[in-house]
Parts: sequence; structure tokens; C-alpha cells
Amino acid sequence: MKKLFDRAFDGSDEMYAWAERVVAEASAKYDDNTPVAYPNTAYYLGILYSMTGNKNQTLGELKQSMQWIKSQYTRERRLHDVFTTGVGTACAAEVIEAVKYIGGVNPYEGTGPYLGHMSDAEVRELGVPLVTGDIPGFVVLIGAAPTDEQAVEIIKSYQAKSIYVFLVGECCLQAERKGLKMGHPVRVYPVGPELPSVCHVVSVAVRAGLIFGAIQPGDYDGMREYTFKRINAAVNAFEPVPDITVACGAGAISYGFPVVTNDDHDMWRVPRSLVVQPDVSKFVETSIEARQMKIKITNIDIPVSFATAFEGEVIRKADMQIEANGSRHDSLEFVRTLEASTIEDHKITVIGKDLDEYEFGAQMNLALLVEVGGKKMQSDFEPVFERQFHAWLNCIEGVMHTGQRDMIRVRVSKDAYDAGFRLKHFGEVLYAKLKQEYEQVVDRVQVTIITEPDKVHELRVEANHVYDKRDERLRTLTDESVSDFYSCIMCQSFSPSHVCIVTPERLGLCGAVSWLDAKATHQLDPNGPCRIVTKGDATDEKIGIWENVDNAVNQFSMGALEHVTLYSIMQDPMTSCGCFECICGIEPTSGGVVIVNREHVPMTPLGMTFSEMASMTGGGIQTPGYMGHGKHFIASKKFMAADGGPARIVWLPKALKDQVAERLNATAKTLYDIDNFTDMIADETVTSDDPEKLLEFLTEKGHPVLNLPSLFE
Amino acid sequence: MADVRKFTTIEEMEADTKALVQRACDVCAETWQDRAEMQKNHCKFGETGVCCRNCSMGPCRITPKAPRGICGADEHAIAARNYLRSISAGTSSHSDHAREILHVLHSAKRDGAYQIRDEQKLIRLAVEWDVALRTADGAERDIYDIGREVAEKGLEEFGKAFGEMRFPSRAIQERQDLWHKEDIWPRAIDREVVTAMHMTHMGNSADPEALIRQGLRTSIANGWGGSMLGTEITDILFGTPTVWTTEGNLGVLEHDMVNLVVHGHDPVFSEALVMAAESKEMVDYCKSKGIKGINVVGLCCTANEIAMRHGVRMAGNFLQQENAILTGAVEMMCVDIQCIFPALAQLSKCFHTKFVTSSPIARIPGSDYVEFKPENAMENATQLVRAAIDNYENRNPERVWIPATKQTATVGYPTEQIIRHLDNITNSNVDELGSYKPAVEAIKAGVLRGAVAIVGCNNPRVRPDYSHYEIIKELLKNDILVVATGCAAQLATKAGLLNKEARYQCGDGLKRVCELMDIPPVLHMGACVDISRMMLLANGIARDWGVKLTEIPVVGCAPEWMSEKAVSIANYVVSTGLDVYLGIEPQVSGSTQMMEWITEGTRKLTGGGFIISTDPHVLVKNIIDGIEAKREALGI
Repeated sequence: MKKLFDRAFDGSDEMYAWAERVVAEASAKYDDNTPVAYPNTAYYLGILYSMTGNKNQTLGELKQSMQWIKSQYTRERRLHDVFTTGVGTACAAEVIEAVKYIGGVNPYEGTGPYLGHMSDAEVRELGVPLVTGDIPGFVVLIGAAPTDEQAVEIIKSYQAKSIYVFLVGECCLQAERKGLKMGHPVRVYPVGPELPSVCHVVSVAVRAGLIFGAIQPGDYDGMREYTFKRINAAVNAFEPVPDITVACGAGAISYGFPVVTNDDHDMWRVPRSLVVQPDVSKFVETSIEARQMKIKITNIDIPVSFATAFEGEVIRKADMQIEANGSRHDSLEFVRTLEASTIEDHKITVIGKDLDEYEFGAQMNLALLVEVGGKKMQSDFEPVFERQFHAWLNCIEGVMHTGQRDMIRVRVSKDAYDAGFRLKHFGEVLYAKLKQEYEQVVDRVQVTIITEPDKVHELRVEANHVYDKRDERLRTLTDESVSDFYSCIMCQSFSPSHVCIVTPERLGLCGAVSWLDAKATHQLDPNGPCRIVTKGDATDEKIGIWENVDNAVNQFSMGALEHVTLYSIMQDPMTSCGCFECICGIEPTSGGVVIVNREHVPMTPLGMTFSEMASMTGGGIQTPGYMGHGKHFIASKKFMAADGGPARIVWLPKALKDQVAERLNATAKTLYDIDNFTDMIADETVTSDDPEKLLEFLTEKGHPVLNLPSLFE
Repeated sequence: MADVRKFTTIEEMEADTKALVQRACDVCAETWQDRAEMQKNHCKFGETGVCCRNCSMGPCRITPKAPRGICGADEHAIAARNYLRSISAGTSSHSDHAREILHVLHSAKRDGAYQIRDEQKLIRLAVEWDVALRTADGAERDIYDIGREVAEKGLEEFGKAFGEMRFPSRAIQERQDLWHKEDIWPRAIDREVVTAMHMTHMGNSADPEALIRQGLRTSIANGWGGSMLGTEITDILFGTPTVWTTEGNLGVLEHDMVNLVVHGHDPVFSEALVMAAESKEMVDYCKSKGIKGINVVGLCCTANEIAMRHGVRMAGNFLQQENAILTGAVEMMCVDIQCIFPALAQLSKCFHTKFVTSSPIARIPGSDYVEFKPENAMENATQLVRAAIDNYENRNPERVWIPATKQTATVGYPTEQIIRHLDNITNSNVDELGSYKPAVEAIKAGVLRGAVAIVGCNNPRVRPDYSHYEIIKELLKNDILVVATGCAAQLATKAGLLNKEARYQCGDGLKRVCELMDIPPVLHMGACVDISRMMLLANGIARDWGVKLTEIPVVGCAPEWMSEKAVSIANYVVSTGLDVYLGIEPQVSGSTQMMEWITEGTRKLTGGGFIISTDPHVLVKNIIDGIEAKREALGI
């Protein structure tokens, strides 16, 4: 039997020879100064950058990196040599792929279902679900499953457990042949047809280390330790597994990702690292155990799957069985608190027609009324629960949910309907998730689903009173009016030294934790991620300095941070974990700030994309002038309050601007008595890369930033 | 991120020792360093094993001019006889210790000073030995009844008239067949020792082969007999060790507490002292004197025993026994058996330290002798703890100097714990539990290159602890797992290598295994008597691998051995089919035949032999080469 180490060594030589060939071919066409880059990333060739610190921006530099890769191919008979060789193999694969992208082309366009390199924005978007365990981990399938059916079965089984699946090689086509929905939103990512494309998966893992872990580029051992401890990934390699795949496997194992294979031929077993599982139907269970992924168990009695993998699923009109659209027909979702004794736990009532009483493609009214009770229940938690409906309902396979309150839109797909999905199943999901996520607070839950138009209307009127009251409460809920802030360290499993301080006017930078959320989380688990920070006396209320806040930040960052201000991005700004919704950065020409959200890929007037700006901060590091934050913070009176407030905002992507316009305009009116402030803020229709044009626009509009003192004084 | 931990170097340990020895000069006391100097230029005849003083015609010493003794015995006969006598003494030490413990089991009572703590282990042994678990009418037998019968059966192992010993049948079939074929399966412990003494009497065996064979048989009576009994019964009485975090080195002595050091090998005595010191009565008494508390710490193998059963901290190993007293902070040193310097009696008089001997086996002039009997264990122990507390006021603060050096350590990995940790890295979808297979797979794939048992003492013939340290470090770097007992394990403790963070000192393969299993790279398996555990470990690996014991890349190493117990141990390890790497030359070098026998001769009989070098760097290279050769032979 050929020794395992020899298999890895020989396989790595094959990958190297391949890379050499590809580089030689490229050299014949391009000169050494030809730029080399992956799209939409600030981390260059992610693996090489993270392992060596070298940026490899040209073909010439790429050639030099080939020398480094060769130096990693040491041949002592020790695991160390297999590990460095394995990482070297991944780097060689990255070279092969990078050459394909020369000239700024998308090499996979029109070649099949392949997506190739993943953008930084997509990586960052995974931050929160990875932290919360909503994505328990990643799996990459390599090669061809014994049958197309088995390929899809395995993928769906991972999906059902919310595990993100990458596909490399033939399995991409297997999934395509079976008509499986694929793409980042449904967490099935067909990478490429050939083995070297697996480097794009490794790149996701190491970029997570750079983004969330603040691992310095070139910190070889630090990166491997980060991925080993914090990135739950595994490889499933289908038979036959040739030496070159074994070499890639060595790289994966070096990063801490076990390999599960059904190939027993010349294969060696290594506990928790290289697992031979002849039965592919047990791949999923075997992989989860090998990487010790913690699956959130959600056993909900519905006829379709329930998993975060379906959160991003889009249901087109043609596939839609039925729709409730609050902007056209009264539809709403509403949580209210009742005396627990008046609630019959797990009672689900449907009032009005059920789904099978409507025509295909029909519109309906829909009210989702959830009544909860419990000793620790507070009415402040009602909106917290209600906001979760969006995420929960979207996890249902074949259900799409957008909006909130009485502006919801819900679609049920034909497939889900055919599988037997009916209205009561909304109730099952809401019941199960509420009990699961908020069991400390919620003792009893009952759900009423109403489609009867009059009754829905009646409820809408009632709910509107409550919504108004809540808004009033939120308006009075200011940083000054409360005695406690909350710390949030939910991200520390990925970003060990980051701490958020959550206040009524400043939600967590991920956008997922408001002050009320933090309060509820604290109630659920007083020793959990959210702790009370008693405000005490402010050292400087304008800049937002509190001794207790400093102490909390110091304590929870394990001494990594000493001071944080809440209202300044210039002096000790709040750190970021990396999973922030938006980032703002100073635009020097105007003296204002540019804010860009994760979804916005193109260039900004700072000369940097979101990814590039984001890479300036994150990982718990303070970078004055840059700060990650949640979308809702933009319209807060406390946004950069010490530095001039929202009046500093000079540029926003249009989509984001539209989203925040109403609230931001209201804030600007209150603070500066300016009407329609957002009209003064530029967007990509004005300029997306020219600071002079931006200044011209601001001058023309009379933007208030021009009257503010310089940020650098 | 990595390697933030501070490890203690040999030089730092030596600096502490030097400072303490200087204090000995200040009080005009002598230490082993002085005596080693005085004993310099050891007798060459003794050193090479060619001095015979087995009858009063002699002593006869072999030289080129006088190649035979008066009776005609040549250097080969004399060296072999002396060697066999060492094995017999070593076997006797471990076995007599086991016998005492069997008697304690026999006298154990539910309401007595000693109880049965690991009933499951007792039941497993009862089943192995055909002791009935139920009475004739089908009722469950009282566990203490079962214990008594098991103790009786165990005691039979010492002097049964017919038949052969039981534990060797725990070995894999290949080994059992070999022991039968070579006729070295021991019959009974006492019988083999008596036979050995008889064979070496004037006018008996002069054939090195016969004497070597009896040596092997006598040693198996230890490793697969006396020592194994000692370990098993100790586990039954005091509990099978579990994983504990503790501390090691003289820094565990406390300035503001009563320091009570327990030293020796037999946990029966020290267990009682630990219990007494923790009793409310003694804690209150201590407080009534205005003292913060009682600090019981171990030394030598007693430390290993109680560290892995109670997490009691370890003050140091063999050559630190005087250092403990030299701190001036020890109120009492209580000793039981084996490896106790008679010099402690004199030295303790230079300080306020009370030196208490407790066993009729180890009587030392100048000590306070309090014979320790199981029937009044707690009274004895309480009385001693009280005396230690009373002695605190006699401590002279001006004479106190406690080195700050200490390290945290994770200890307590008997085979049961190793299996449990291996279970943690199995995959329930493909693997079985309760097996060494995960370890075997890691070795076969090359992630681990092999395993080495580092055992044994300290010896002033070489730089103390240095050989242990150098060899262990190099093995770890080469992905070789180390299991350790005795004073070698204590060196690893002092250095910090029993800390889980020591994985950063390892090659990537061993490091990964440590991370996945959540273990330190050096596994503390106990006292020297617990080397029997290592035999079961090796045996289990061979069994689960399906190969011979001689084939597995697992070896033993005693870098700084000195006692006759060690000679016996080395022989039973060789009998088990494993090579043993020695850092001190056995005292047979005056005989070319014996040198041949111990290195290559036994290899023909059992498959194992000695490889010897006093240079630790050469020795560790030999070990690694030996392991790689075994791998090559297996095609892995």
C-alpha cells in the first residue's frame, strides 16, 4: 500500500506541475506587469496573502510565489512536511485559478453553474450566522457522488441542517442535472469543474480569519490555529480519490478540516482527520461528527424543510401558489402579551379560508397573530420577537417573507403547497421557534392565522395602535433615558477581541442586536453574551466616554481594548468584528463620510470598494476614521454625534439611501431643521469615484458638512 | 499565538538546587552532591560486575591476571549472577509492596480505615480470576467478600505450589506462546526470586544464558505479576486514577502553611495522611494555632500516586529529597518504602523538620519510627498531622528559602483514561469504542511515528534530569508520543511538559493529536510500579493492530535509571518484546558475553534488547532510528 505521506507528496507535485504549466502559458501571452486579481476582494489571492503576506498583484509576483510554494514542499517523513506541502498545494491551486481571472474576466461565465471566487461581501455576510450557529459550518464536496440522486440527497441533507455546501467537480453538474436550486442565497455554491477551484473554498476560510479573527497576513501558524479552532469545515471526497486530491486534503487537514471519503483503496485512516466512510448515505452524519459541528435542532412538524439554508430563497411569480401583500390587501404580523393563564399552549387556529381554497396564483389577506405569556415576559420584547418572524418564516423551504408589521409580503411556492404546506404550518414554525429561542421568557404561545378579510382589517386597526405606542416608546428610548447599556460579545467565537456596546440609539454593528434584543438576550441568559453595563456618570457625554463602558470593554476584550467612545469615529471608535452591515470612512475632500453597505459592490468616492474599506478595520481593531455599524445607526441622532452627527454623511449607495431616507430625514429635521436631507447626499448616480464631482454636488446642494469644522483638528 | 508559555529549563532547576546546596553548607550539612564527590572513582570491579562476594572464600575480582574466581567462576558467570540478583531484588521490592496492598484489600471493611473505591475494577478482576460474584443460592455477594477472595487469590500468586502465574495470560497469544516456548512464564513470584537466589548461590549456575533466562522469568513475575498486582489492587482500594490538574517542583511548598512531605512509594500510608490532613478536626486544629492550613505534598513515586488520585501537588523527584528539607520550610517528612536516603535523618536534624519512618521494610537510624498499620491508619495519620502542625512554631523563618519555581501539570492517564480520550476522537459512524485503534491508525498513517515510555530514576552518574529532558524534547519534536512514570514523569512535570500547552513543543503530528484528544504530549501514567500499565498499553496496541509486540513502533527508555527495580523493569519490558534504551550502562560490562546477552542475546529469545548510550543525544537518535526501522519493516 502506498504510504499516505507519499501520496500527498506525489499529489502536490502534480498540482505544482499544473501550476507551472499554467503560468508558463500565461507568460507566453502576457508580460510580468500584467495585473492579477480576484474580483470583489480586498485580500488579493486570499490563501497566498494570508499565508505569506505577499499580495501577488502581477504575473511577475505570481511567478515569485511559485518559488515560495516550492520551498514549502519539504520532504521529511513528518506530518509537518505533509502540512506545509498541503498548504503549498492549495496555493498552487490558487495560482492556477488566478491565472484564469487575468484580464478581469469571469472565467466561469457561461461555462456551467460555476461561481468561482466568492466576494468579500458574501464572506462577511456569513459572519453573523456562523457566530449564532445558524450556519453550523461548511462542507465541500469533491468529485462525483455514486449517482446524481445521491449527490442531491447529500446536498439537501446538509441544507436541511443549514450547513453551507460548496461543490467542486462533477457534483456541480450532478446537482444541475437534478434541477437543484443553487447559489449563495440558498447556501449551495458550485465552485468550479476542476479540482484547483477548491482553492476558492480555502480562500473563504482564510479570509474569515483575516476579517473576523484579525489574523495578520503572513501569520502562517496563527491562521492555521484560527481555522482549526474556529472554522467548522469538512471535506467530502468521492471515490476515486487520486493523489492530487489527497494533497489538497492534506492542506484541508492542516487548516483543521477533516476529510471524509468513500474511497477505501490505498487510503489510510486518521482519527477525526481522514475518515473512511464507505456508505455515502452516512457522509453527512460522519462529517458533522468528525468536525464536531453543533447543529441547532429544529424539529418542526411541517411537510417541507426548515433551515437557514433556505433563508435567501427567492420565489418568482411563476412558481408562486399564493401571495399575501400588505401593500395591497390587509396583511400583518403581530405579537401581543396576554395573561399566561388565558393562553392555551401550542393552540393553532386558522380563521378563514386555507390555502387549498384559493386558486393558483391568488392574492389573500393574512394576519399572523401570536399571543405569548410568561412570568418574565415584558411588552418590550414583543417587537423583538416580531422582528424574528422574517428570519424564521424565510427558513421554510418554499416560503418567502419580506417587510414587517402591516407591510409584510409572504409568498408560498407551488412546490411547498404541493408538498402539503398549509396555513397551520406557519403556526407550527412560529410556535416552535419562539419556544426554542426564548424559552426563558415565554411560557405559553398560541398562534392565530386569519385570512378572513374583515377580521384581518379589524386586527390591523388594533395593531396599528400598538405599533404607534411602540414607536412612541422607541422615541423616548434614548441613551440618556436609560440607566443601562449592554455589552455584546456574541461574535467572540470568531472575533476574539471584539466587544459591542449596545445602547438604545446605537444598535450592534451587525444590525441584528438592538438594545431591546440585548436586553432580552440578557434576560434569557444573564451570563451569556449580553451583559449589563451600568452607565454611571459620563466622563464626557458629548464624545460618549463612560468609565464603566471602558471597564466593560477592557474586561470582555481580555485587555485588548482600553478605551471606546460611543459617538466618535475619530477618537477610540468602537471596534468591529467584521460582520458589520455598513462601513463608514472619512472622505477627505469634503470632510464628510462615505457610508457603504455590504451589498454594494462597485467603487465609492473614497477610491475603495466596500471590501477594501472593510479590510481597514474588523477583527476587534480600532482604526480612527473607519467604523463598521448597523444600517439603523445611520439615522440615529447619535451617529458620529461627537464629530458633527449625520450631517457628515455625504455619500450613500442609492439603495441604502432609499432604505434609510424616511428616518434620516426626520433626524436631520430635528437636529438641523433641514428638510429632505437625503436629497443633499450624493449617490452613485452623481459619482461613484470622483471626489471633485462629489464636492461640486455638495456645494450645489448646500450640504451642511461644508460648514462643519475639519475632522482632523 | 503559540508558545506563550514559559517552560522551566534544566539550568533554572539547577540554579535552585545550587542555592539550596549552598544553604546546606551554611548549616554544615552534607548532601548527595558531597557524597558523590567522596565516592568518585567507583570501584571498577563493582562497576563492571566482576566482583563476586557470594561466599566467604572471596571476594574474588576478575582481572586479566586472575581470570577466574577461586571456585573457577569466570567474569561471565559472576556478572550474570550479580545481574540476576539485582533483578531479584527489584522484583522483590515491587512485589512485596503489592503483597502489603493485597493484605490491605483483604482487611478492607465498609466502615474500616480502607474501603473498596473502584468496585467495577474489582468485579472485572474477580471475573478474570473466576471468583464468584454470586453465592450458591444466586444472591449477590457482598463486594467486600469478593474483595477478600480476590485478595487471597492475589496472595496465592506469591507462593502457589503448582501451576503458573495468572496475569501473563493477559498478554496477546503470540507473547503467551513465546513465554511458554522459552520456558520463562513465571510460576510464582516468591518462587522465581528464591530460585534466582538459589541459582546464584556458590556452586550453582555459571552459565550466563541460564541466569539471563531466569532473569527474564523473574522480571515477568514482576511486570506481569507483582507490579501489576500492586497497580490493580491500589486502583481497587484507592480508585483508578483520573485526570487532574496539579503543580510540580519545590515551589509548591508554602510559606504560610504547615508543609508535610510524603515520600516513598506505597500510597497506603500517604492516602491516610492526605485524608487526615483534610479532616475537619485537623483543619480546625491548624486554624486554632493561627496557621492558614496544611499543605501535603508528595515526593518521588508517592507523589505520583497521590497526584493522580487526589491532585496532590508534587514537590520533586528522587534527587530532590534533600532539597525539600533544605528549604527549611518542611515541618515533617513522612516516608514509607524505597528510594529513601538514610541521609535524611541527619539532614533533618539541621532544621526543625521531623523525619518519620513508618515501615518495617525501611528502618532508618535517627528517624522517628511510627509503625503504620492499616487497622489504626487514621489514628496514626491524625497523630502525625497533629505533630506536624505543632512543629510549625519551630520553623525558623530566617532559615526558610523556598524556590519560586513550579509548573502546572495535567496528570493521571492510566490505560482506562487513555482509552476514554481515544474514544473522544472516534467517529461513531465508522469506529468502535473502547479500543486503541485510533492510536494505531494515527501511527500507521505516520501522524504519530510511535510511542516511547520514559521511565526511571535520577542518577548522579549523569547530569540529573538533563537526559530525561533532552530525550523527551527531541521525541516530541519528532511526533513521538511519550508516556512517563516515576522520576522521569516528575521531570516532565517540573519542566512544564505535562501542561497541555506543551503541544507547542511538538511536531505538527503530535500537536494535532494532543489538540484533538485534549491531552498533554507527555502522558503521566503513575509511579514506577505502574510501568505494568505501560505493558498493558503496548499489549493493547499490538492486539488492536493485529501484529506482534515486537513489531509495534513502541519502545521503553530509562535515561537515568539507578535502582535494582529498574533492572527488573528493563528486563520485563524486554521480555514483553519491546526494546529498552538505557542511558546508564548495566553493571555487567566486565563480561563480553553478558554485554552480548543483554543487547542482542535477549533479542533472539524475546525480540527485545537493550540499546545503551550515556549520551542522551545519541540515545534519542537511536530511539528515533529504531522506531523508524520498525515502521519500515511494517511498510508504514
